[in-house]
Amino acid sequence: MKLLKIGISGVRGIVGETITPQLVMNFACAFGTYINSKPVLMGRDTRISGPMLHSACISALTSTGCDVIDLGICPTPILQYMVKKLRAKGAISITAGHNDIKWNALIFINQEGTYLNTFQGEEVLDIYHLGKFAKASTDKLGRISSANNYSDVYFKNLSKFLDVQTIKKADLKVIIDPCNGAGAKSIDALSQHLNFELVSVNNEPNGFFPHDPEPRPRNAQQVASIIKVIKADVGFILNSDVSRVSLVAENGETLSEEYALPLIASHYLKKTPGAIITNFSTSKMIEDVAQYNNCTIIKTKVGQSHSIQTLIHEDAVMAGEGSGGIAIPEFQPTFDGFLTIGLILEIIAKRKKKISQLIKELPKYHIVKEKIYCPPTKVHSVVNGVKKLYPNQEINDSDGIRVDLDNGWVHIRASVTEPMIRIIAEDKSKEGAQESAEKVINFISSLLK
Amino acid sequence: MKTATSLKISISGVRGIVGDSLTPQLTASFAQAFGTYLGRGVVIVGQDSRKSGTMVKKAVLSGLLSVGCQPIEIGICPIPSIQFLTKQSKAIGAIAVTASHNPKEWNGLKFINEEGLFLNYHQMEEFLDIYHQGEFSLVEAHKYKNPKFEKNPSRPHFKKLLSYFNVDLIRQKKFKVAIDCCNGAGAVLVPQYLDALGCQPILINCVPDGLFAHHPEPLPENIATLCRTVVEEGADVGFVQDADADRLAIVSDKGEPLGEEMTLILASKYVLSKNPGPVVVNLSTSQAIDDIAREFNIPVIRTKIGEINVVEQILAQQGKTAIGGEGNGGVILPGIHPCRDSFTAMGLILEYMATSGKTISELQKEVPKYYMIKDRIEGTQEQAYRLMRQLKKKYWNKGELSLIDGLKIQFDNYWIHIRPSNTEQIIRLIVEAKSQEVAEKIAKQFKKEIGELSKWK
Repeated sequence: MKLLKIGISGVRGIVGETITPQLVMNFACAFGTYINSKPVLMGRDTRISGPMLHSACISALTSTGCDVIDLGICPTPILQYMVKKLRAKGAISITAGHNDIKWNALIFINQEGTYLNTFQGEEVLDIYHLGKFAKASTDKLGRISSANNYSDVYFKNLSKFLDVQTIKKADLKVIIDPCNGAGAKSIDALSQHLNFELVSVNNEPNGFFPHDPEPRPRNAQQVASIIKVIKADVGFILNSDVSRVSLVAENGETLSEEYALPLIASHYLKKTPGAIITNFSTSKMIEDVAQYNNCTIIKTKVGQSHSIQTLIHEDAVMAGEGSGGIAIPEFQPTFDGFLTIGLILEIIAKRKKKISQLIKELPKYHIVKEKIYCPPTKVHSVVNGVKKLYPNQEINDSDGIRVDLDNGWVHIRASVTEPMIRIIAEDKSKEGAQESAEKVINFISSLLK
Repeated sequence: MKTATSLKISISGVRGIVGDSLTPQLTASFAQAFGTYLGRGVVIVGQDSRKSGTMVKKAVLSGLLSVGCQPIEIGICPIPSIQFLTKQSKAIGAIAVTASHNPKEWNGLKFINEEGLFLNYHQMEEFLDIYHQGEFSLVEAHKYKNPKFEKNPSRPHFKKLLSYFNVDLIRQKKFKVAIDCCNGAGAVLVPQYLDALGCQPILINCVPDGLFAHHPEPLPENIATLCRTVVEEGADVGFVQDADADRLAIVSDKGEPLGEEMTLILASKYVLSKNPGPVVVNLSTSQAIDDIAREFNIPVIRTKIGEINVVEQILAQQGKTAIGGEGNGGVILPGIHPCRDSFTAMGLILEYMATSGKTISELQKEVPKYYMIKDRIEGTQEQAYRLMRQLKKKYWNKGELSLIDGLKIQFDNYWIHIRPSNTEQIIRLIVEAKSQEVAEKIAKQFKKEIGELSKWK
């Protein structure tokens, strides 16, 4: 099966298989036609296939009459921030986020600097499917320009949003692994603006990924192995476009990517109470933190596009996913890894506690994330079939099926990138979580026989 | 019969109208086919000065990267410099984003092999087969190459030109040279080149912004400003390049446009006087070349129309050819490289003036004078072939017939050449005679005869 995922927020696939210049051009032409001869920002992560998609997008966008402001290698949250600053009408970010090097993707950004919402995304897809793209004549072709010092603008505003003085006083030593992705070098600017001492690993924007660019414990080994030796206060692992972050504690413990959201929420909701948006796969920690602060939780389908759309619609104060993406609309309504790092440093500085201690204050759960192969034609019927396993429980089927159990929950959904079914189970005990997941996996195996 | 008017895929490459047929998708497919044809390696990507150049170039880069090639972008660059660089470097080929002398709405691609030559007929066929089959050798992400940029792509070409010509002699003359680059790719090298030759340049339309101040073909009717400037400024000579700087036409010190045929005639006369050797030209090139060759007792070899046909014949002569080219102002000097090159032509003319101590109008008087008429008659290829069969039957014993490209008949004092166009639904008729009157009379006579023979109207 060829892997290609076309969604409202963009298109993702395997380079050389489904991601070809023509496919990229067709999508960029559709987006350019939708934007209708207005300026569009372009940015990319460091993947070595990036220049191919980047050239294809620029050619296509200018062919529809859109001017292009090219930010080159640029983390998605900075690109999104600059859309409004530069008064562009949209942006395309070329990044496959946490996916490995085989993948690449186009992500479409609207003039508010957020992922396209359902309505906008569907319009672009309609134009794509119709295949009737705007074609500018020679004199009306879009022009290409670049922007200077744009990351300075972003970091200055980020510093204004954070309590930089407190962070400075805490004299923090921080280790960051941007995985040679778009965050490479940008983290140098982050450390200067936020006044912490930076120790970096994999800080070359060369697209050579020393490990999968997914922020989670198994990819945090390099940071974990040196953090105690260099006596750093905290470590961060970034994905390739700096939309997601996971943490490493000062004692060398690789922390689950689930911790960033409840840690920040417990701090942020105190001064800014309001609704929180999350998805069905995220740890119950956030629900406990919300409840403790008398805040409501609204759950959406997995994916930045869904959570941000709901965030804006519900006027929520925060959105986040257990996979490490966090958005605070008071700064900007997008998953932003730099903001996430800044807020965690602020918490460490204000609370004057070690990260390992702060984590201990959070409710204790165990989460397991499994996946099982399923032929693409059967995925949805199999996911639906799992309902039979829970005849007496209440089932939420907004995004796959989610069942709340006595000591936890289980979520079963189709992967958006692979012919796989994901099973996420959480429980107060490790054994309980494993048991819940195994039960589902065994049942699915029997359905597939 | 319906005809596509805005897209031409031929032996000279691909040309189309931007905003119509020449889309990013089509362009990328051709680049992919070219990369697939060459195999993975370094491919140079240059462009002329057209405003659509960057849009088209980005599509080319995307296509090349997707099949595992490593593009080297060189920006706006004259075609002969691209060809020279390709041969000198380890590149396996080059793509030039250019529509040559077509109007500004057009753009296109020319395909160059590792020798720095345009793909010949057979190579072009192989390459187009790959394009039509549509199966390109896409590579996986980890095999992608990083695109590079070359800032000074004309340098090897420039150095070769300066080492070839007698620069000291030309410099002594301090020629005043008016030049019209038509805001084309030549503008990036012309000022530096004329400066190195010690000339006082008067630059007209020398901003490579693609805003063609006149039709980008160096014909007399397009260069009124240049002619006037030569007179007003008292220049020794005027030059005009086409948009991609492979062709050159000359304006005399009297402000007279000499016609594009004269460039190769003067260049040949000078080259043969120093270095007699065979001359290779196409069928439609002026018979003044034959007269000059006769003076030096050397043969003229005639080829089919199309630069690559002349070049292939030059290569087949294995280094013996002294000079070659086309009557349209395309001078090929194998001693520099086997490519049409307006910079070579300029160097030859300036050196000729310097060596002889004569003005350009004096030099012009020393070569045989002919008058050429180029006309066109509407008709399809099929009709053209039927017509040529009939003419052949009628004239087989009245003149010397050549059938290598259309039909050329050499009579005692004039010749005619009839052939179907490769790019348009027309039949081209070219007549050359000793006088304007005879040329016009013969052209009229054949046009009438063609009208009678062809019953399609």
